This record gives sequence, structure tokens and C-alpha cells, in this order.
Amino acid sequence: MPTRKTIKKPLPSVVKEMDEWPIYKAYENPDLFLQKVKDLVKKNATWILKDDDTLRNEIKNIVYQEKMRLSKTPWKSDDPKEKIFWSDIKKQVRSSKAIGTEEGTKEVDERILNQILDFYGTEMIADFKISSFKFAQKALPYIYSRLINSFPQIVYKLFSSVDKLYDRMKIMGDVDHIRKLQEIGTVVVVPTHYSNLDSPTIGLSLNNLGLSAFTYGAGVNLFTIKSLSRFMHNLGAYKVDRRRKHRLYLETLKSYSTIALTENVNSLFYPGGSRSQSGKLENKLKLGLLGTVIDAQRMNLEEGNGKKIFIIPVTLNYHYVLEAKKLIEHYLKDKGKENYLEDENTTSFGLIKRAYKVITSNPGMTISFAPAIDVFGNKVDENGKSISSTGQKVEVADYFKLNGKLVRDVQRDSQYTQILGDRILQEYKENTVVLSSNLVAFVAFQIIRKRFSQFTVFEILSLPKDETTIQTEEFILVLAKIKEVLLGLEKENKIILSSDINLGMQELMKVGIKKVGSSHPKYVLKRNKSGEISTQSMKLLYYYHNKLTSYGLEQYI
Amino acid sequence: MKKVAVIGTGNFGLALANLLAINNEVLIYARREENVQKINIKREHKGQPIHERVTAVNEFNQLTKECKLIFPIVPSSNFKEMLIQLSPFLSPEHILIHGTKGLHIEVDINTVETLDKSQVLTMSELILKETSVVRVGCIAGPNLAKELSEKQIGGTVVASRYNEVIVEGKKALNSNIFRVYGSNEVLGVELASVLKNYIAIAAGMLEGIGYGDNSKALLITRGMAEMVFFGKAFGASEKAFMGLAGIGDLMATCNSKLSRNFRVGYNLAKGQNLLEILSDLNEVAEGIKTIKVVKLLAGYGFNSPLADALYKIVYEDWELNQGMDYLMNLPVSDDTDFFTQKDS
Repeated sequence: MPTRKTIKKPLPSVVKEMDEWPIYKAYENPDLFLQKVKDLVKKNATWILKDDDTLRNEIKNIVYQEKMRLSKTPWKSDDPKEKIFWSDIKKQVRSSKAIGTEEGTKEVDERILNQILDFYGTEMIADFKISSFKFAQKALPYIYSRLINSFPQIVYKLFSSVDKLYDRMKIMGDVDHIRKLQEIGTVVVVPTHYSNLDSPTIGLSLNNLGLSAFTYGAGVNLFTIKSLSRFMHNLGAYKVDRRRKHRLYLETLKSYSTIALTENVNSLFYPGGSRSQSGKLENKLKLGLLGTVIDAQRMNLEEGNGKKIFIIPVTLNYHYVLEAKKLIEHYLKDKGKENYLEDENTTSFGLIKRAYKVITSNPGMTISFAPAIDVFGNKVDENGKSISSTGQKVEVADYFKLNGKLVRDVQRDSQYTQILGDRILQEYKENTVVLSSNLVAFVAFQIIRKRFSQFTVFEILSLPKDETTIQTEEFILVLAKIKEVLLGLEKENKIILSSDINLGMQELMKVGIKKVGSSHPKYVLKRNKSGEISTQSMKLLYYYHNKLTSYGLEQYI
Repeated sequence: MKKVAVIGTGNFGLALANLLAINNEVLIYARREENVQKINIKREHKGQPIHERVTAVNEFNQLTKECKLIFPIVPSSNFKEMLIQLSPFLSPEHILIHGTKGLHIEVDINTVETLDKSQVLTMSELILKETSVVRVGCIAGPNLAKELSEKQIGGTVVASRYNEVIVEGKKALNSNIFRVYGSNEVLGVELASVLKNYIAIAAGMLEGIGYGDNSKALLITRGMAEMVFFGKAFGASEKAFMGLAGIGDLMATCNSKLSRNFRVGYNLAKGQNLLEILSDLNEVAEGIKTIKVVKLLAGYGFNSPLADALYKIVYEDWELNQGMDYLMNLPVSDDTDFFTQKDS
């Protein structure tokens, strides 16, 4: 059984010498790394190399899409040299002979393909500079102390030491197990995604666990300020351009992730894709990058090294999400996917400004590391051995074997990815930490919803304030009922309750109301002297309530 | 030559072992030592001659070591028990393709008033739950054991989420007397092969009463619609019901006295008592259980008039003509409503 504990101070690194870290070794020779990526793309992208016509048409299609992207959705972060590159590729395509008519066409196309792959690889590749990492580790507290000078004195007092930061930032999980797995194999961290603050939060958490640095994909829109871009680049961030949707780019991205994993580099990705706009727990994952853990595990076995890949789902639990208003409004407008153009405004500097604002004004956050699983979703024991749901020890190699041999089968592996995705979702659910803020928001919204049970969510969100006021007595009654159900769920290991939940009803209500979305200009919940609980923003109340909608609690209201 | 395994020495298990022996060495697991002897020495069991490439064993250890492709063909009532015994010898390297046309119910259906979906498992779901095997599939279709054992030409469908399983199943089974089709609609195929059992009981009743082909065609068509409604309510698509496991198996079982379920319905219509029929049958008639399961799942809102009528006849002593009256006086819907509606 995993032993969950909370860490308050950074732990020493599992591998002390940074030049021994896989990330350092992998990026020490970028040419070799990129060559491996390129070889893997060519091995896997059989569709593009099917015949000469397909290759030529794919290249034409890529050039067209890239040129369209540059003209229709240009970003500040776009490299000015890119235009020249694609024009040159276009020229090369034009000047080569027509398809299939002259000898040498295939060679020309393959050369062009290599140039495109080199271009993508060079743009994508991260680095790991020990000096940058050490600087980041040491400078963080100083940056904080400098920055908080510009905040009101009260914030300064609240935040006068780094220790205070860790009081607000609770990191829980089977820490010893995770640290041990780092010695045995490769660790892949897959967090839930609510906020732009997630990356700095998780980065700091992983460092505090003493794990070797992680490589991770970061949107190109975050690489706008040169010095900061360089800094992120040197800390293992590889560039991902979400505007590019064509198969060759996606294949390159997947191959990049696969090679990093086979090089034993710890990796981080958000399988939910974009941030949860509704505030709900992820219920569907994007399986593209997640599938690379299966590929990489098989390749490790084929190489004969058998290095194991361990997946650690992480839930991020906030009392306050800075961009909650924007997110919930997007969700309600049913816009679907994140609008990347708007995301362009999220510059590195903007992100840091937001991060400081949230950290210095945040009533707290909990980062919950779930027990590790293998790439098929099996639990792993203290030595990293896989244990099936029936309690048997199983070998990961057996999943890839057909008639005694390791076999690559894309369709099978896509099914395995689906199984892993489902397991991650289950871990998210079971390792969500119920904060007092989520609980009071849930209770308040559900009371209102029950009051207007014939109304749609949209109609409820438009109710006037006097219709949504709740008396303390009613609130406490429902709060007690839901708390009891939650305690039952916790006993069955189906959820985690934060320590606040153990408070008496009155105190729990007060703390929760105080903390829920505490820094929004409009209050999410407030209780006046006559004991009436009200909200200034039904949308925000709905957003914070949504965190607990995956547990069937509504029936107890 | 590849070695594959069959678990179960019922009529279908034996027939399947013989079919597999066309392309493979076959190990067949028999629980009782005397059956091992019959198969290995007499080379005959339950009236079926045993192919020379079939060898009976009664150790799971040997079976799972020598064979990575296994076909469990065990009645649904014994399936879980069999899996519990087999599970310690299985690993994710094994592929299991079952041929059991039944459901596993997690509770005693005689003691509950309703069922929850989570309490009803198909055999492949049960395999996933009870073992470490992930590559699971099923075979289903118009496969009456007697005809298979007579080497009459026929066909089946191998369904699995994994193409690899379908390919292995085809390689093992396909021959010039047996055509093997593939499908990824494993849930639909499994449900079709279960639900057709009670339609076959109704078909037997019709024949027992003396109705002809028009009546039976009406029954089969609307029976299939009912199967689709149920399948959709459980998350399956209608596709599988149009294939060999659906319409194919319905055609066979609703027209054949070789079908146990058909014989149950036929004998009921002839005035025999259910308990008597079942004891004479000496084998499982899954349809009787399925009628009750469908009834207990009624809360999911699918349309199942035929199952409702059969339930009243089998479990509540309705006369057959009462059931017929009930069905013939129901409002009629669109002919192909199962394509357009979730339920009608």
C-alpha cells in the first residue's frame, strides 16, 4: 500500500550529480538526439513514404499549410527566417522534375523531407544547462522577495520566507516510492490542467521531490522574450506549435517525446490537452503524446535494456484559479477548444506576473501525486514490478508479445493507450483533494440548482442575486450531508479530503467561503451578518463547484 | 504447426477443437480424467470423433505454457469459476477468444428486483476482470455444434478491440469449410449472441403452436429490433446485429431443432413443464436466464415487448395465447425504427 505523506521542504536530489541526469546526457549531443528523432519519424511515418506520389503530395501540402499558418495566424514568436525556409522548400519542389517522370525525383523529395525534419527538430529541441538549472533553483526565493516588494505590506508579511510558500503549497503522495522509481526507470508525470500557473507549480513540486529534471513541451507562444525563452529552453522545454496540425509535424512531436523517454529522460505532459474550461475534472484525454510512453516502453524492451517507464498522475487543486472567469465564459459560450490566438497574449512575462499574483495572494494549493502505474495502467510495487488488477506480478514485455516475440502493432498499442488513459482518469478522480473552497461552492450551487430544478444551467446562471441567497441553516444542513458522503468515499479510497474538511461545520463553512476564489474582483461566496450566503458571480460559483461533479454527490442534495 | 487450446468439452468445444485441428495442434482441457481418456484413447467423445491433432489434458499449467491462444468454451454459469482456476497461469501474453453465449451476473438473479449495468458482464468483460489477459475476443455466429461436427460448411465472426486477436483467430480457424469474419464490435457481437437465445425460445413456441414461416419471419425481424434496442442501451452499435452473430445466428437458432433454446420453446408450446424440459435437456438453455436478466434491466428504458411476454409465460404462468395477444395488440412503430431510435 502506498504511504502518502506531505512534504514541506525540498528534498535532496535522488541523483546528486547533475551531469549524471539523463536529461543532461540526452541533450549533451543534440545532433545525435535529432538524428534518432528523424530516424524514428521515417520508420513510423510509413504513410508518407508509401510511394513517390504520396511523398510529393504530402510535401506540397505541408508547404501550403505552413505558408498559410504564417500569413493567417502569425505570432510574435514566429522566427522571421521561417518564411525564407518555406519559400526555399517551395522553390525546390517546383524546380524538381514532375512526379514519376524523371529519375532522381524521389531522391530530391527525400532530401526535402530531411530538410523539413531537420527544421522541425531544430526548432523543437530543448537543452539542459546545469548552470541555468542551478540558477533557477537558487534564484527562486530571491526573485520572490524582490517581487513581493511591489505588493502591499500585508502580502509581504504573509510571504516573507520561502517556508511560507511551502506552507501554502502542499505536496502530497508516496514520495519515497516516486523517488525510488526514479532510480529504477523513467518517470512520466501527467497532471490535471486548470491554469497557466500549473507548469511553474508542477515544476517547483518536482524539484522539491528531488527528481532529476523533466523535459516538457511548451507552446511556442511562451517563447516571446529572448532571454526567458533561452532560460526555458535550457531547462528542458521543447517547443510545440499547436497551430501545426499536419501529420508529419505531429509524428515528429511524438517521435521527439518517444526518443526522450527511451533516453531515460523524465517527461511531463498534460494529457487533458488544454486547461479545463469548466473547472471540471478531466473526463477525456488526448491520447497522442500519451501513446509515446507505450512506444518508448516497447523500444526499451527491443533494445534489451528493459528500462521501465512509470506514469504518475498528479492532481492540482486550487482554492483560486486566476483565469477562472475567462475559462468559464469560454466554456459557457461552447467555444470548445482553447483559442490559441488569444493564448498568444500569454507571454512568458505575462505568465510570471500572473504566477506571482496567484502565489502571493493564494490561500493555498495542493499538489497530489497518485501512486505510480506502468504504461498499461498496472500498479507497481516498491521495486517497480507491475501488479495486475488481479494481484499477479506481470511483465510488461508480455503485452507486446505475439507468438513469443515482441511485435509492434499500432492498432493494438492505440488500444493500450486508451486503457492507460482510462486508468489515469480513474487516478485523477481518486487523487483529487477536496478543498474547503470546492466543497462550499458545490453545496451552494447545488442548493440553488435544486431550488430551480426545472431551470437549465444557463437559466440558473442568470438568476438575480436575491433568488440565490442561502440561509446559513440550510447551507449547514446540506454541507453536513455531503461531508458525510465524502468521508465515506475517502474510506473507500475514492477521493482525498484536505485537512480543512475535518473542521466543525461552522468553521468549515467559514474557511471555505473565505478561500473560494478569494482574489477575484467579485466575490464567489460571502456570508453577511444576518447569516445570508450570497454570490456576486454565479459563473464563478459554477466553475468552482464543477470540481466535484464527477462523484454523483448531487443525489444527496 | 502452431499449438492452440480449447477449454471445455461440451458439444461446441469439441466441434471447435476439431475445426482448429485443421490448421493447428490442439490441446483441449477436460476437467474429468475419464473425459481425457475418452478423447485421447477412444478418440471419440459425446458422439463426436476426435481429430488426430487434438490432445486432451487436465492441467491448466501445461495448457497455458504450451498455448498462447486459448478458446474458452464453457457455460456462462461456470465461466467465472473456470477463470479463477485458470487465472494464476495466465499472463498478458495470452490471447483468449471465448465462445460462450451468455452473461455473467454478479448477483443471484433470483433474489433481486432490478439489476444495475455494472452487475452484468459479458464474458470478455469477465476475462478482463478476473485475469491479467488484455487481448480478448469472442467467436459467435450460426455455429450449431452438430452441423460443425459433421463438417458442414459454415462461418463465424471473431470480434475483438484488437486487430491482432482477429488476425490470430482467423489464422487459427479459417479453412475451406469454415469462413471466419472479423469485427471490432465486440460488445455488440457478444450481446447479439446472448440475446438471440430468447428469440429462439419464442421461435420454438411459434413452431410448437403450429405457426408457419410468415409468423416466424415477423418474430425474427422484430426480435432483432429488440436486440438492437437492448444493445444500444448498453453502448453497442447496431452494426454487429446485422452480421453473423446477429441476423446470422438468429436465422440458424430460430429455425433449428438442434438449438436447445428453440427446443425449450417448442416443448413449452407442446404443453411440457419447464422444469421437465430443462432436466431432459441436460444442457444449459441460456435463453431462460436471459429473459429474466432483460426483465431485471428494464429500468434502462429499452423497448423489449418480446422479453416481457416471454417473462410472463416462463416465470408468471401466462398461457401462450395470452402472450401472443399481448404482442399482437401492441402499437406498431416504424419498420426499421432500430436504425433511427435509441428505443421506441
